[in-house]
Amino acid sequence: MKAILREPLLQFVALGALLFLWFEWKGGASGPGTTRIVITEGIVQNLVSGFTRTWKRPPTPAELKGLVDEHVKEEIATREAIAMGLDRDDTVIRRRLRQKLEFLVEGAGGETPPTDAQLQQWLDTHPHVFQAEPRVALRQVFLSPQRRPTAARADAERLLARLRRAGRDAKVDALGDPTMLPGELPLGPVSEVSRTFGDKFATGVAALEPGQWGGPVESAYGLHLVLVTEREAAPRPALADVRPLVLREFLAQRSRTQLDDLYKGLLAKYTVTVETPREPERKQAAASTAGSVRQ
Amino acid sequence: MRHPLARWCLAVVMLGATPVAAVAQDAGEHNPADLAKTFSNKPPYSPYAGRSFPTRPLFGDTHLHTAFSMDAGAFGAKLGPADAFKFARGEEVTSNTGQPVKLSRPLDFLVVADHSDGFGFFPQVVGGAPAIMADPQGRKWNEMITSGKGADAALDIIRNFGAGTISKAIFPVPGTAVYRSAWQQAVKAAEAANDPGRFTAFIGYEWTSNTAGNNLHRNVVFRDDATKALQIEPYTTMKPLGSDDPVDLWKWMTAFEEKTGGRVLAIAHNGNLSNGQMFPMVEAFGRKIDRAYADERAKWERLYEVTQTKGTGEAHPYLSPNDEFADFEIWDKGNLDGSVAKKKEMLEFEYARSALKNGLILEQKLGVNPYKFGLIGSTDAHTGLAAIEEENFFGKTAPQEPSPERLTKTFFADPKTGIKIMDWEVGASGYAAVWATENTREAIFDAMERRETYATTGTRMVMRFFGGWDFEEKDAHDRMPARVGYAKGVPMGGDLQKAPAGKAPTFLAAALKDPIGANLDRIQIVKGWLDAKGEVHEQVFDVAWSGARKPDPKTGKVPSVGSTVDVANATWTNTIGAPELIAVWKDPGFDPAQRAFYYARVIEIPTPRWTAYDVKRFGNTPLPGTRMTVTERGYTSPIWYTPN
Repeated sequence: MKAILREPLLQFVALGALLFLWFEWKGGASGPGTTRIVITEGIVQNLVSGFTRTWKRPPTPAELKGLVDEHVKEEIATREAIAMGLDRDDTVIRRRLRQKLEFLVEGAGGETPPTDAQLQQWLDTHPHVFQAEPRVALRQVFLSPQRRPTAARADAERLLARLRRAGRDAKVDALGDPTMLPGELPLGPVSEVSRTFGDKFATGVAALEPGQWGGPVESAYGLHLVLVTEREAAPRPALADVRPLVLREFLAQRSRTQLDDLYKGLLAKYTVTVETPREPERKQAAASTAGSVRQ
Repeated sequence: MRHPLARWCLAVVMLGATPVAAVAQDAGEHNPADLAKTFSNKPPYSPYAGRSFPTRPLFGDTHLHTAFSMDAGAFGAKLGPADAFKFARGEEVTSNTGQPVKLSRPLDFLVVADHSDGFGFFPQVVGGAPAIMADPQGRKWNEMITSGKGADAALDIIRNFGAGTISKAIFPVPGTAVYRSAWQQAVKAAEAANDPGRFTAFIGYEWTSNTAGNNLHRNVVFRDDATKALQIEPYTTMKPLGSDDPVDLWKWMTAFEEKTGGRVLAIAHNGNLSNGQMFPMVEAFGRKIDRAYADERAKWERLYEVTQTKGTGEAHPYLSPNDEFADFEIWDKGNLDGSVAKKKEMLEFEYARSALKNGLILEQKLGVNPYKFGLIGSTDAHTGLAAIEEENFFGKTAPQEPSPERLTKTFFADPKTGIKIMDWEVGASGYAAVWATENTREAIFDAMERRETYATTGTRMVMRFFGGWDFEEKDAHDRMPARVGYAKGVPMGGDLQKAPAGKAPTFLAAALKDPIGANLDRIQIVKGWLDAKGEVHEQVFDVAWSGARKPDPKTGKVPSVGSTVDVANATWTNTIGAPELIAVWKDPGFDPAQRAFYYARVIEIPTPRWTAYDVKRFGNTPLPGTRMTVTERGYTSPIWYTPN
């Protein structure tokens, strides 16, 4: 009997039986690699809160059953897939892992807010990024070549002389031809002028002296006599005005730097050997790049 | 305008309670004595002071996909929402195929509307859940994409999605960390790009109901910011969390508004690919079209996207045989995936004009018109690039970005049905124009809700359209048509009721060409009405046109404007057409007992189509039958007349 008890195989079987009983009593293992799936209260709560976020109400019992069933299928599929090794050598999974790693690094950078001094320095070294546009305000009188096929230009010259005599406060409501184009543009960015009247007109207006009727300025619609009532140079941006933009650019730059540093640091741990591709492949690659940038 | 009386007078004018002639600034009609009587104080020097109506339309796109959309990503889109906003604001970006690209002018607003099903599939989700990608179907698509067959993978994905045969394990669904993170990123991009007063970045998504390949897609647009949008995750079409039935989407929208106090709207598109399902008359999803359906649809879907890259859906030549402009960028071969061919009897339930007509029938029957929608255009580009100008067209999907090949390639083909769409058939269209009082989410959303919008096929023409009972010829000569329009009538999207005895509706329609675009050929007013016998009719009236053309005495139609297009050089000249057109029109066939709607359509002179620019720039040869010219156009939201 003693000999039998000392038999390793029996010891092994007995230990196995004990372990089995113990696990049964404890409720069994339910992690990856086992065939047991336990949907804990926590998981159910997660499913319920996911549903509630979408629907703004908790699921009905039938809906909850559907959610749980789906979750069970997903869990089974996950385990089987991993067991079959489907997660290995998967470009997408590798890409996602890289993304997660990079995201961690980028996230860490965003946590310490930069000081105003840092932002000011950034603004000083990159003023063009935040440069506002020059602004202009104008009034205009329109002459339609459709309505005056031959006389538009001569009429414009005559009208201009009158307007100059009348000066800044000339009453222009009854002058020129009716149009849907605005007779007056309040002080705004110069791009607003080209959006409304076109680039040609905006260029013409840029050459006019403020405070005096000028033109005729040509547009895609016809001729215009224009009074630039106000013109402001592009203001140099103050940090207070563009703080959110500077912050955005600053943080973006900081995450880029952190990523670069990360890779530089990690690269030091590795020895990288690149086998250069053979000649024909390189040619092909060059040709396809050229093709895609042609236009 | 500080004087209280002056302010009061202006308010009265805005309400239309006094005749506008009192303040009209046209010299011919101006009478100082009358003015003095009406205003005890001088009107403000500046006619623009105190003006509360919008003065410039805002142009945008309510329907742009980025790499976050499963199919866009599969097609090779790399640009995400942040890039899309950057490009729309007028900055230069590098396209998905590595080409530098920039808009001729910035847009004023943008809705990035990525598909809610599989939100963030590419690039985030493709790798997000390893177990999900272990699915054989997912693996197959992944291999197709990595081996350079992304376009085939995308079409296969769309086909399987439409057929409901995508493995459930593949799509990230609301409630998962992956889905949540993609939605957060999309919302964050909109928040970062939103710049009130200068550029509006809306939070939004597309709900892509596509059962059996029938396109019932809707874009959902949020009025509010992240604090509300992040309380939820987008509604999907896949059960159990989602549904493919629009009625369930409306329930979700109701739940969102009740829960958060926010506001949302939905814009349907591509009825032309719904095979008769977009505007049902009898039943939908096994339920009768009843009062409840009409109430809900009228409440949530106040706009319809009438033109985009996958065809224009205003009118169809079969439905409107007397409309010589109805044949515009038509896609009528089948449903979205080409799995079922089109039958003529489906068309009536797919096109905007017939839906507007059928809406009158339903209104008579149910008391509410479910199809009382305004019109907008948008791109539906899947490139992150709202680039649909003919000479700057970056295609619908990444493989359709400019290349010598796109002129002759196949967009998709179903060998079973024989349905085939070529890349050249994709239209460079459209944009949404909104008469908002300022460039903010709130103001644009509210203008959309009141349907004060119009659709263009990519041009940025300015369109005004007002309806009232008292417009007169001289209003067309006013210096500020908008002021007369708002004072004497309602703008596009509005309602006319209580016809004064013996009066017919009058309309003020005006259009100004795109400052860098083509001249205008004509303004038309399209009328649809329901007669005493319960039958619907339509008629197109030419109301303003360029030059000295005379309408045909029999048909009333104005002859063609001609064409200056030099296809070989991809050029045209503005030597025909007019830069500006305006007219007052009175309905000659008005019957106060009959329901009716009116909308304006403005047609440009012919210009080179994007295909002509391709031939000119790449020196390649188009396939026979390729359209090389286009007449860009705009469609206003209708104005409805309802008998008391």
